[in-house]
Amino acid sequence: MKLEIDNLHVAVGAAEIVKGLTLAVPAGETHAIMGPNGSGKSTLAYALSGRDGYEVTQGAASLDGVDLLALAPEQRAAQGLFLSFQYPVEIPGLSAIAFLKAALNAQRKARGLEPMAAPALLKLMREKAAALKISDEMLKRPLNVGFSGGEKKRFEALQMAVLAPRFAVLDETDSGLDIDALKLVAENVNALRTPERGFLVITHYQRLLDYIKPDKVHVFAGGRIVKTGGPELALELERDGYDKYLRAA
Amino acid sequence: MQLADLPTRRDEAWKYSDLRAALSGGEDRLVRLDAPRGMSPIVRLAKALANGETTRRFVVDDDGEVWTSRLSEDSGRVTTVVAPVGSSGFIFERLSSWADENTRGGLKLSSAWTEFVVEDHASLTRVVMQSSSTQYEAADIVQLGEATVRLGEGAKFRQFILAEGAKLARIETHVRIEGEGAEVELNGVYLCAEGRHADLTSVVTHVAANSQTRQLIKGVACKGGRGVFQGKILVEKGAQKSDARQYHHGMLLEEGAEIFAKPELMIHADDVACAHGNTAGGLDESALFYMRSRGLPELEARALLIEAFLLEAVPDWVEGEVRAEIEARIGAWLRA
Repeated sequence: MKLEIDNLHVAVGAAEIVKGLTLAVPAGETHAIMGPNGSGKSTLAYALSGRDGYEVTQGAASLDGVDLLALAPEQRAAQGLFLSFQYPVEIPGLSAIAFLKAALNAQRKARGLEPMAAPALLKLMREKAAALKISDEMLKRPLNVGFSGGEKKRFEALQMAVLAPRFAVLDETDSGLDIDALKLVAENVNALRTPERGFLVITHYQRLLDYIKPDKVHVFAGGRIVKTGGPELALELERDGYDKYLRAA
Repeated sequence: MQLADLPTRRDEAWKYSDLRAALSGGEDRLVRLDAPRGMSPIVRLAKALANGETTRRFVVDDDGEVWTSRLSEDSGRVTTVVAPVGSSGFIFERLSSWADENTRGGLKLSSAWTEFVVEDHASLTRVVMQSSSTQYEAADIVQLGEATVRLGEGAKFRQFILAEGAKLARIETHVRIEGEGAEVELNGVYLCAEGRHADLTSVVTHVAANSQTRQLIKGVACKGGRGVFQGKILVEKGAQKSDARQYHHGMLLEEGAEIFAKPELMIHADDVACAHGNTAGGLDESALFYMRSRGLPELEARALLIEAFLLEAVPDWVEGEVRAEIEARIGAWLRA
């Protein structure tokens, strides 16, 4: 799955946050977007997944040639787009099992597939949960309610593994994670890397990229990509900070 | 009985549910009713509408008799249910009305008064389902219910109400904890579509010590619908070590929906644990986006979120066919 973003402008209210972003992530590649806090990285993630209030004022975004911007959030998901949230939302009263069952079967329905039967779904969920050290008991609790930051991120990884998207955007997956949890989540992301699937990893720190090794690194400042390089660019940012790019932007 | 005998919104206990206004146009019907004085409006109407029928009396037997009652439109009923020492029983009541092409037009009024006596160490469980026609407008239907409950030592009374509203539907529950160590649970869900008004009103009085009250009411209202929760917990001076928790959470589904809540804790004892919480808000938009981003269509995501919100108020002890019916009704209401 190839993600193509061309001259994207996104406004939140009256403020333009993303100002002409162009980016292509070919199938099978993992790209990182790094940028200082408040630079609009999450705005990009929300605009790609179609959140209300994130208005695309100019430009295009497509997944394998399908115009994402014309679709509702659920249709984008059905096209195979997945967003791992920086701040996963609490869903009181709905267990991870019930939530994932509803989500997976809604996606299958949108793709013209039969719903997955409960036993097969439960088996799949348990298998993926075990790899993320998520207990059966946790699967039955209301999703994200009272979960620690690390638990929420593990559940994001679980949802991604079960829904098996064709392209995933990971928004600050490292925030709120201790090193063990970070390694665990990264391992599970890496397990999903295939020649067909693409990833866009949004992060502030280089640390995550030690574990999820990107093919390319993009520096995001002032609402656009100001520099693109290999993994070594992340190390440079870690060493020198974002100052020089902020000044340039 | 005259329209003027009925309370209006100027009466504190009826300020969100104007009974006189709801029954206006029904003067002819009221005038034929001979209602005793000195009792609450619901009890008076129940007695008058019962049309001289004597009080029905049920005693929970050793096997925990299951008693089912159905009260339909234009009728009244007065019932006494006794749970003798150590017994346990289940009560299922339907307050249902339906209008069809033939019966449409004109006021349809029903009122039920039920007295529960739960003796020492007995346990009573009560489920009430209030519904009115879905096929036709509920515009002419007024449904009233009042329960008076007395609890002995170590007695237990658990209740769940599902109210779908009518032109006016009000279900009152009055509990007096007279014996030590009694437990009360009063949960409920209201669903107020356009033109529906559902009112869950309760008063729990802790007279004896070491007793517990748990209350969780949840409800939703659409544009033109009105949900009312009035809950009073009164802890009298001698009711030390009372433990009372009362929560009401309403969700306004659309602009123009109305939810009114009047929670009251009155505590006259000094060694008690009491807590309450009351909220009314809209659907969590960030949760809605989260679900849509996972592939759930907006309507289904909404229904699932609201369903989950409401089902928290359905206790685990509501089981089997009754639970299935409650879940099906809520599910169907949300997807209508």
